[in-house]
Amino acid sequence: MTVAITPAAGAPAPTPTVSWGHRHLIDLDVVTWPEIELIMRTTEEMKGILARPIRKVPALNGRRVTTLFYEASTRTRVSFETAARNLSADVVSVATATSSVTKGESLVDTIRTLEALGAEILVMRHAVSGAPYLAAEVFGGHVLNGGDGWHAHPTQALLDLFTMRENLPGGDLRGRKVAIVGDILHSRVARSNIWSLTAAGADLWLCGPATLLRGMDRWAAAWSDGTLPGHGRFHVTSDIGAALRDADVIMGLRIQRERMQSGLLPSLREYAARYQLNAERVSLAKPEAIVMHPGPMNEGVEIAPDVAVSGRSVITDQVSNGVAVRMALLYLLAGAHEAAHDGHTGPEAGRVETVRVETGR
Amino acid sequence: MSGPGAGGAGSAETGRQSSLGISVGDTVERFELDRAWLVDPVTGREGPGQIVVGDGILESVEWLSGAEAEGVTERGVVVAPGFFDIHAHFREPGFEDAETIATGCAAAAHGGYTTVALMPNTQPAVDDPGVLARVRLAVSASASPVEVQAYGAVSAGRAGEQLSAMGELADAGVVGYSDDGAPVRTGRLLRSALLYAGMLGLPVVDHAEDLELTAGAEAHEGYVASVMGLAGWPVAAEVNAVSRDLAVLADALADEPRARLHLTHVSTAAALDLVRRARGRGLPVTCDVTPHHLAFTDEWIAGARRWSWEALDADGRVRDPWVDGAIVAGPYATALRVNPPLSDPADAAACLAALLDGTADAVATDHAPHTVVDKEVEFGKASNGISGIETALGVLLVLVDAGRLPLARAVAALTTGPAAVMAASTATHGAAVSRPRGLVEGSPADLVVFDRSDRWLVSPESLLSKGKNSPLLGRELPGRVLVTIAAGRLAYADLETGDS
Repeated sequence: MTVAITPAAGAPAPTPTVSWGHRHLIDLDVVTWPEIELIMRTTEEMKGILARPIRKVPALNGRRVTTLFYEASTRTRVSFETAARNLSADVVSVATATSSVTKGESLVDTIRTLEALGAEILVMRHAVSGAPYLAAEVFGGHVLNGGDGWHAHPTQALLDLFTMRENLPGGDLRGRKVAIVGDILHSRVARSNIWSLTAAGADLWLCGPATLLRGMDRWAAAWSDGTLPGHGRFHVTSDIGAALRDADVIMGLRIQRERMQSGLLPSLREYAARYQLNAERVSLAKPEAIVMHPGPMNEGVEIAPDVAVSGRSVITDQVSNGVAVRMALLYLLAGAHEAAHDGHTGPEAGRVETVRVETGR
Repeated sequence: MSGPGAGGAGSAETGRQSSLGISVGDTVERFELDRAWLVDPVTGREGPGQIVVGDGILESVEWLSGAEAEGVTERGVVVAPGFFDIHAHFREPGFEDAETIATGCAAAAHGGYTTVALMPNTQPAVDDPGVLARVRLAVSASASPVEVQAYGAVSAGRAGEQLSAMGELADAGVVGYSDDGAPVRTGRLLRSALLYAGMLGLPVVDHAEDLELTAGAEAHEGYVASVMGLAGWPVAAEVNAVSRDLAVLADALADEPRARLHLTHVSTAAALDLVRRARGRGLPVTCDVTPHHLAFTDEWIAGARRWSWEALDADGRVRDPWVDGAIVAGPYATALRVNPPLSDPADAAACLAALLDGTADAVATDHAPHTVVDKEVEFGKASNGISGIETALGVLLVLVDAGRLPLARAVAALTTGPAAVMAASTATHGAAVSRPRGLVEGSPADLVVFDRSDRWLVSPESLLSKGKNSPLLGRELPGRVLVTIAAGRLAYADLETGDS
């Protein structure tokens, strides 16, 4: 199928080869747009694999992926583990509730132990912002962030971006209005999306009650002069109408009950009355706008059940694309590892093509 | 012995040779330094001069002029009175893994300090004379010539409920009271403490923090914390606590005119403004700022490592480390987790302004050594504190080198300033004996000699403190300390040759 790679006459020149140079993926702040494009292309390849009757390829055969989740998670963990298995990696799953973490073992000791047990790629979820950087300092392999505190959830932002491109005409975010609505303050999804969506050229709006937007105005103000290379300005507002009007993409975020106990919200009822993504509010957006949610959803709180399952909803696409994005990242990180060992800096895009050839189509 | 004098290195060597042959703790029998830059913050005089120490006594201080003074500049070898740190944690008893009195004193002397006042948040806390006696035993066992003063806790067990054994502690020689590590919990207790301590002629030292506002907080609330997903530590937390303290002090004075309040490690422009105005009204309040709040800012948590004044552009606007490539280190370094948190460049500039206009009387290190176990953890779980007693001078000299702080003011903030803060205790409380903070002939030699033309590398090896939790590891600082003499005895000597 190598023929398929050759651009047709008159087609735009192929994107220049970008090599994947990151040993870890912890946040998108250090990932350039060409690298994001590489991830998107690789994800497409992986999605092709997922479309086949047998979803398994040998790309990571014998490689050891360990998932270390310090926070409860179903979909993200299963998504990573499915992705790793699809690539034929050996998967070790550490749940902190049943590990020696409950005996007071430090993160650093846990990481060293897992490395001694053979972990090569560590997928990590942690409640404290920045924890994966500490892991990366002591771990000899690759760290792939599965979400840390309020800070970052890069695979979620990448699968969001992939899903948006897939569903928007032309597959281009430039000038497209994206509204993220909900608990922005505590959201690692929102923070990672700020990096990727401003890089993609989207017209990004963050919306929620003022108590859940704390600090975000300062960020928006710092970027308001548009001086950050590769990133644009974004908007922060409590006005749900302004955020949703003529939007191309609407993304809801989970509202947690703890927010009432900590005095940030009067009640879920009041939140729903003012900010719930219901049919009426969604109608403010463009008719072809899509509705997204990183899950898990509180239907009836931040999103109305009928909106969640409406024709506009791409929430299940997000879930399936999540597996493809995570396959792509595991693949790219493992390739970087190989290159580092070989002393080569060979184009990882080429390696992806190898996957395609091996599996045939 | 006469150094060549043209550069610091020659004179420095003079000092080194003089110190050879004796060890730490010994009385300095003979130490002569010709042609150095002397700074005497008591008289306000500075300039070329020479000193002679004999049998531990500062025998002569001679100011040079004319041809004799030629080539001696303030950029070479400097002699100043020994420094006084009014806020340090030496962790003993209870946390000897992090620091002991002996290692703390060695670190202090390396930093040029000859007197330290230790915070009482040990385990157990210094809340009765028995615990103070343990501290004193450790001091004698250390055989260090560094003078160790101690604060007593404000509240029993630092629990914020009842007063500690304040009178007995005063009798046993504490120099003040603090629940540092935490604020005096309630305004009601603070009022009692100010009255009782005032009656005893001692100050109350408060760590100003509104704990409700900082619950769960991880970093100064601002752009950096927002981007990094760190829970914001609002400026209001310090402002609120400082205003409570000042209001309670004003009320307490009606009952006890000797009530005195010292606010330590004030870190924000708004809180410093409150102190400035309170002093303007004549309230007996003093305050200190730390080297780290002067020189570091919250962008260091993102991985920037430029000094606070370099983080502002020509128009005084805060630079964006993500825009201008200032991020050179990994993010979330726990050595930067400190209470109060590193603030933004405007607050750092306000700390400097307060030091320059006298709103801040002193620089205090808040030397807070921690073990790897307490620091090699997730940022949000790391213990607060910076190991800073050895780097304070270097950080202040960076400010001096940058032309932002006169050398004489830096020295005063490390000597006469802290002594003035503690003056009430020395004036009215016989047990606390303070050393002369000037270069006084005929008194026991108490001085530091440092070479501004030489630099030293901050590293786990070069730090004598057990606490290696310094954000400056791997970095060179100006002002290598050559000799520290405390009460006539050798406290520290750098015997290396000056070629490094």
